[in-house]
Amino acid sequence: MTPRRKKPAPVPVNGSSPTTAPLTDDPILRSVSRAVFALILLFAFLLLWRGHNAPGGGFIAGLMTVGALILHRIATGTSALRVDPLRLVPWGLALAFLTGLVPYLLGRPFLKSAYGYITTPLTGEFEWASALLFDFGVYLVVVGGGLAIAYALTDVDPQERVEGDE
Amino acid sequence: MTLAVFLPFLLAALAAWLGPRLGRRTGYVAALAFLPALLLAVPLAGMPGAVPALEVTRWVPTLDLALAFRGDGFSLLFAALIGVIGTLASLYAVAYLSDRERFGRFYAYLLLFGGSMLGLVLSDNLVALFGFWEMTSVTSFLLIGLWHTRAAARDGAVKAFLVSALGGLGLLAAVALIGIAGGSTSLSGLDVAALRASPLFTPALLLTLLAAFTKSAQLPFHLWLPTAMEAPTPVSAFLHSATMVKAGVVLVAKFGLLFGTSPLWSGIIVPLGLATLVWGAWLALRQTDLKALLAYSTVSQLGLLMSLYGLADAEGNFAGTAHLLNHAAFKAALFFVVGIIDHETGTRELPLLGGLRRALPVTFGVALLAALSMAGLPPLGGFISKELFYETMLHQGPLFIGVAVVGSALTFAYTFRLLRVFLGAPRAPEGAHPHEAPPGLTLPAALLAGAALLFGVWPASAEALTRTAQAALNFAGYPGHLSLWHGVTPALLATGLTWALGALLIGQAGRVNALQRRLTPRTNANTVYYSLLESVNTFAAWLISRTQGLALPDQLRVMLAAAAVIAGYAVLRAPQVFHPFGALPLSVLPIAALLVAGAVGVLLARNRLTAVVVTGLTGFGSAAAFLALRAPDLALTQLLVEAVTVILFLLAFRYLPGGRDLARSRWRYRVDVLLAALAGVGATLLVLSSVRFLAPPISPYYLANSYSGGGGKNVVNVLLVDFRGFDTLGEVTVVGMVALAVLALVRLGKRGRTATAPDALPPEGLPPENLTPTPPPPKERA
Repeated sequence: MTPRRKKPAPVPVNGSSPTTAPLTDDPILRSVSRAVFALILLFAFLLLWRGHNAPGGGFIAGLMTVGALILHRIATGTSALRVDPLRLVPWGLALAFLTGLVPYLLGRPFLKSAYGYITTPLTGEFEWASALLFDFGVYLVVVGGGLAIAYALTDVDPQERVEGDE
Repeated sequence: MTLAVFLPFLLAALAAWLGPRLGRRTGYVAALAFLPALLLAVPLAGMPGAVPALEVTRWVPTLDLALAFRGDGFSLLFAALIGVIGTLASLYAVAYLSDRERFGRFYAYLLLFGGSMLGLVLSDNLVALFGFWEMTSVTSFLLIGLWHTRAAARDGAVKAFLVSALGGLGLLAAVALIGIAGGSTSLSGLDVAALRASPLFTPALLLTLLAAFTKSAQLPFHLWLPTAMEAPTPVSAFLHSATMVKAGVVLVAKFGLLFGTSPLWSGIIVPLGLATLVWGAWLALRQTDLKALLAYSTVSQLGLLMSLYGLADAEGNFAGTAHLLNHAAFKAALFFVVGIIDHETGTRELPLLGGLRRALPVTFGVALLAALSMAGLPPLGGFISKELFYETMLHQGPLFIGVAVVGSALTFAYTFRLLRVFLGAPRAPEGAHPHEAPPGLTLPAALLAGAALLFGVWPASAEALTRTAQAALNFAGYPGHLSLWHGVTPALLATGLTWALGALLIGQAGRVNALQRRLTPRTNANTVYYSLLESVNTFAAWLISRTQGLALPDQLRVMLAAAAVIAGYAVLRAPQVFHPFGALPLSVLPIAALLVAGAVGVLLARNRLTAVVVTGLTGFGSAAAFLALRAPDLALTQLLVEAVTVILFLLAFRYLPGGRDLARSRWRYRVDVLLAALAGVGATLLVLSSVRFLAPPISPYYLANSYSGGGGKNVVNVLLVDFRGFDTLGEVTVVGMVALAVLALVRLGKRGRTATAPDALPPEGLPPENLTPTPPPPKERA
């Protein structure tokens, strides 16, 4: 479900693409992207995690992940995700909806979030919130939707469309 | 009751999952779903005296919306009926469907329908009733279109859906009007006197009738039922003969309590029902397809039921419920029989079949019982309810009984036509070797035919059921009685006349056929429907080619102009008070300069690439402004949205021909400048007018409650995931849908645009593009 850090075997995106070649052959971009990719993803997760109490949240983290994955795609020509990104959308929606449904079925308002605090000696005070699950659903939808669009656009060889122009 | 309604829905999901694994045996699981509905017959036993149970599940209390199920005698009777036919149809389908059928889908749809139908008859809340009503329309659409590779099935499904959706809209309006006038959305709790005194009474009445007539295929909405026969036969037996089409009748019966006092109510329903009775039977006589014959027969019998319940008096309701039971038994049995014939011979065409009694003796016995009940012959249930029908119509006047007799004589005649497939010399299409069907097919049919016989030879059984329903419809004291022999009454004489007339029709079949051919009207409901559909399609294509077929810049111009007109009108109507900005931090000034520079830069850019990058400048500028105004969350979001947007733009722009703008004429240029200026000024005014709040600002509430109520220190995030979580859910749904739409567009482009209709196509080649930036992908806060 979550993006994998390790580089997977090249898979054709959306199952149809004839052009999984990198959009650029720039070696600098390729080597830099590898390091930056992991950093951006880590930062995105941080944003998602702390969103409840500090600037961040599922939407922002999702956008940032999309940016990282597009970078990876442009630099290496492979998708860092092993699944069709569009598949993340229904899962994310279902997760967000279900987190809302649980309190409703328990007799509280739809989407009313629950939270609590767990204190362990190792982590100190730790807050869990059902809102994080909801946010994770939002995250999945944004990643899936954004990536699906980006992949669809990188997917095709533009040459076939601009033929005869200029 | 709540369980009876919801178990089919739950098992529908299970059946969809089990379908590919269990194959046809999924049907046994599906049959289980109707078990609680069958058990509803238990409280029915003690019913006339018992108080109806009411089960309420809270839904949206603020809208007076609840899932309230009320188990009065009539509702329970109908629910048990749905349970019986649903179980039998599920089991029948196990043996009936071919191996290639997608069982998961079939049974899931069937159960969804079963649940919706149970909800419809048991629901006491009008809004929930409307919801279930619409769900039966949708599931009916899905089931008719089950074999969607066939054009006829698609056409039938669309037709059924359009007609019943029309009625559904009527019901929605009627429910709203009744709710307003009656002061409650609970059928048993609303104020009937207030409703009757309200000026909304007549519109609500008419709209209810529209819903009932479309659902129950009354003239002139009968057209959808025959084409709905494209559905598999178990579906036809379940939906289109025994249950769904009777939803309109149920509506008339239940709402008769509200509207029955009005002369308009019976004044419309009874004549129309009788007309449908005769016309449906007349058309049934003409069909050569067995299923089409049964479909028109159903139309005709529904007309009969309508005319009885439409009277909204004790006598009519009594006869109606008795006939409702009989009709469900014999018509579903006949559908099952036709399914067996189809299954064994591979055809349903009357002229191709004959003498099947030798090959299918059991089926013949079942068919004979059911058909004789339909024709109204003793000692079957149909005879008794027809006597009651005559009795009732005799009290209405000579014209009514005359029409009733003609309709029943036609029924008599087409029943004989149906039975002809079993009589005479054996005939079957080449290659078919009909032999007796497996018990999985004959048993459900035999059970139903047995019920038809039972209601005849032991009328007390049907009488007890009818009486409980009678009590629920507020006619508890009616001394009605079901029996085979009433003595020589006018009704019996009318029956004799019917038989004579029917025999005459059968004897003179040749002449009747000739007459039918001569009397066929050139225009009928179907031709009207198709011409209407075609004109709507033509109009839509015309409208789309005029508005949506434009190049993107033209569409943008139209949108901007429209926005200007609407906003301008709003300002003219209610002049706003414009407030100056308050004190602004000085740091905003350079940022504003950046924004302006970005906007100007776009205009000066000579090619697209530069323009996109410079557009980004305005976006990043806004992010900087948010930061300066201390909104880090907004700034972060804006920053990321802008980055992703610019990347997507650049990716998309690889498809556009050339890097440079296409030339604009001087006139165009002026129009565009004017539009841009108007949009800019308008947006500024809008912002200025909404600086001050009409109501006290809500933000202090969020600030105060964010930590205690949502458990988060980041108010913006708590706002998004808790206080206004519903909005967020809607917005992410939009994100997903936009992704799907973009994907579809890009893939469509790849395939060379063969999939669009020719008149919806833009002119050949890519449209001229100017440098107006299109709106970015969806943002977080719409």
